[in-house]
Amino acid sequence: MLRIEGVSFAYRDVDTPALDGVTLDIPAGGVYGLLGPNGAGKTTLISILAGLQTATGGSIAFNGRPLAEARAAEPRAIALVPQDYAFYPMLTVAENLDFFGGALGLDRAGRKTQIESAIAFARLEQVIHKPAEQLSGGLRRRLNLAIGLLGRPQLLLLDEPTVGVDPQSRHFLLDAIAGLPASGTTVIYTSHYMEEVEAICQRVAIIDRGTVLTEGALDTLLRCEESVVELELGCELPAELASRHAAIAEGCLKYRLKLASPAALPRLLDDLTAAGCAVQQLKVGRENLEHLFMRLTKRSLRD
Amino acid sequence: MMPRLNALWRKETLALLRDRHGLAALFLMPVIFILVMTMALHDAFMPGAAIDVGYAIVDLDNSPHSQSLIRRLNKAGSFRHVASVDSPDTARQAIRDGRYALVLVLPKGFGERLLAPAGVDGQPTEPLGLLVDPTLNPALQLAFRTQTSAALGTLRADELTRKAGKLFGLPVAANAPDREWPDEIVTVAVQNERSIRPPSSVQQNVPAWLVFAMFFVVIPISAILIVERQQGTLSRLAAMGLPFRLVLLGKLLPFFIVNQIQAMLMVGVGMFVVPLFGGEALVMPQGIGLLHWWLVSMAVSLAAVACALLVASLARTTQQATIIGGVGNILMGAIGGIMVPKFMMPATMQALAEFSPMAWGLQGFHTVMLRHGGFAAILPALLQLLAFAVAALAAAVWLNHRQSA
Repeated sequence: MLRIEGVSFAYRDVDTPALDGVTLDIPAGGVYGLLGPNGAGKTTLISILAGLQTATGGSIAFNGRPLAEARAAEPRAIALVPQDYAFYPMLTVAENLDFFGGALGLDRAGRKTQIESAIAFARLEQVIHKPAEQLSGGLRRRLNLAIGLLGRPQLLLLDEPTVGVDPQSRHFLLDAIAGLPASGTTVIYTSHYMEEVEAICQRVAIIDRGTVLTEGALDTLLRCEESVVELELGCELPAELASRHAAIAEGCLKYRLKLASPAALPRLLDDLTAAGCAVQQLKVGRENLEHLFMRLTKRSLRD
Repeated sequence: MMPRLNALWRKETLALLRDRHGLAALFLMPVIFILVMTMALHDAFMPGAAIDVGYAIVDLDNSPHSQSLIRRLNKAGSFRHVASVDSPDTARQAIRDGRYALVLVLPKGFGERLLAPAGVDGQPTEPLGLLVDPTLNPALQLAFRTQTSAALGTLRADELTRKAGKLFGLPVAANAPDREWPDEIVTVAVQNERSIRPPSSVQQNVPAWLVFAMFFVVIPISAILIVERQQGTLSRLAAMGLPFRLVLLGKLLPFFIVNQIQAMLMVGVGMFVVPLFGGEALVMPQGIGLLHWWLVSMAVSLAAVACALLVASLARTTQQATIIGGVGNILMGAIGGIMVPKFMMPATMQALAEFSPMAWGLQGFHTVMLRHGGFAAILPALLQLLAFAVAALAAAVWLNHRQSA
């Protein structure tokens, strides 16, 4: 669906490029996670895809056509749901939806259908006549998402859509987003919440300093280190074992160990038993997305 | 394009109607300004209006001539003769005490030297003295001096006539009454088919504060546009393929209508409310003149909305917009003849006023209302305002494009 090839972008008066030869292939259907620390280039890439910026190098094809051409031919095919509450607080929910429907160029009948559909999708029926400024954080996020769906886009760009909402609203939003591909909308999802990405994305790309660090199916990326073991113990890991397996303490008696090979696992368990250390929990062969992210992007603080 | 523009117009109208403070600033503020300023400046604009400033006289001569001069001054009526004082020292103290603003001192020998050239008998002619409260408006000081000079002139003329009659043996009574000098000799009346006169208080203040109020749309327009930019709504609209110039166009019509409602309201206040407070009723042009008046109103509105969009594009925050827009409006108003009429300004300030769009608008209104000018007469003002509007809109679009890049 979306082919991004060698895309570069530099902001005026900034020496370091925001994007430096980014290449991604995003298939139709599914939720695609776009991850990276602050300043990695995610928002710039999203802005380019939304038509707010123009890449200074490389090419982007949407459904086989150059992006600008595709956007001109089908202006509603790609929609953006920004991280900010990008609607009018003094207008009611219904007035906001009506305005953005009109801004998309939908005629009266089309607008009515799409608004009803968006209200049902985001479960906004109870608040349609309420001014947006009186909505809770969760309802605002739902309205933000509903506006993005008014044009029935083929590609939806979601920029951190769950920031500042309670767990109930987050679960609702994640379920709703996960269901979008079934209705024909491919989603590009950026978030700093790794567990969200793990829960709803089928493919992810991790970018940093304007370049792609890794990209692929989530299962494949997390399965790639089968010799990694996560342990939760009943006591502290003996120093000798920690040294031998390059253990990383993660607090609360949780450790990540690297084995020389999968065959070394039985011996490790024997050694722990011999040391009188009970194993509470054991995970083998699947890396945590957050660990993968931290390993690839390093632990240094970003802005 | 039309469904999109309709949506933008609807949204702007709703947003505006829900901004009560903005509406108050747009409609209530100019009404109050018009009422207060029209009443406050009522007399200042009234040709020949009585000036409520009293003067005292120190008559050290106490001659028939000095008495005659005092009678002539009293008859002129612009200033009130409030007292006679014994000596200049008493008069000085009275001015220091704030009791009198003006004291005219008629020196001893004033009557004798009325027709004598200075120094003809070896004695210098002592001039009339004028003691003035330093806080008195210099224009009023000058007006009193002019009035005194005029009274002195008629007194000298009468005395000269009397002496000439005596010389030629004509019978002239020594105590003949002061002659009445017709006003035409000392005032210049400008007359033509349609009398042209300086604006009255209501004719100055209604168009002036209307122009000012129209330009005040800068506050609500910039507030909405900046909030749209900060909240990412403009980005969302751009991502929807809505060009920025269409967003600007979407703001133009609702605020243009707001400006026209302001115009109707201000004219209504001038015609019907100001007279209730004792002021003169605003006289609006009739027939084609009304169309010309409306053309000026439309041109002012376009310039005002375009100026507001430029300010909104320049400012990063609503605070900045309020400062740039508010101070900018006050400056444009101050140099543009809104607060102080242009004809009261010194030449350099009048030249500076030519750079204020508010002055162009006010000039256009005055051309229609006071000079009864036709389309050709208001065309320069219309062109100036429209050129300003186009330039401001182009600058706003360019700034937005630059910021996006």
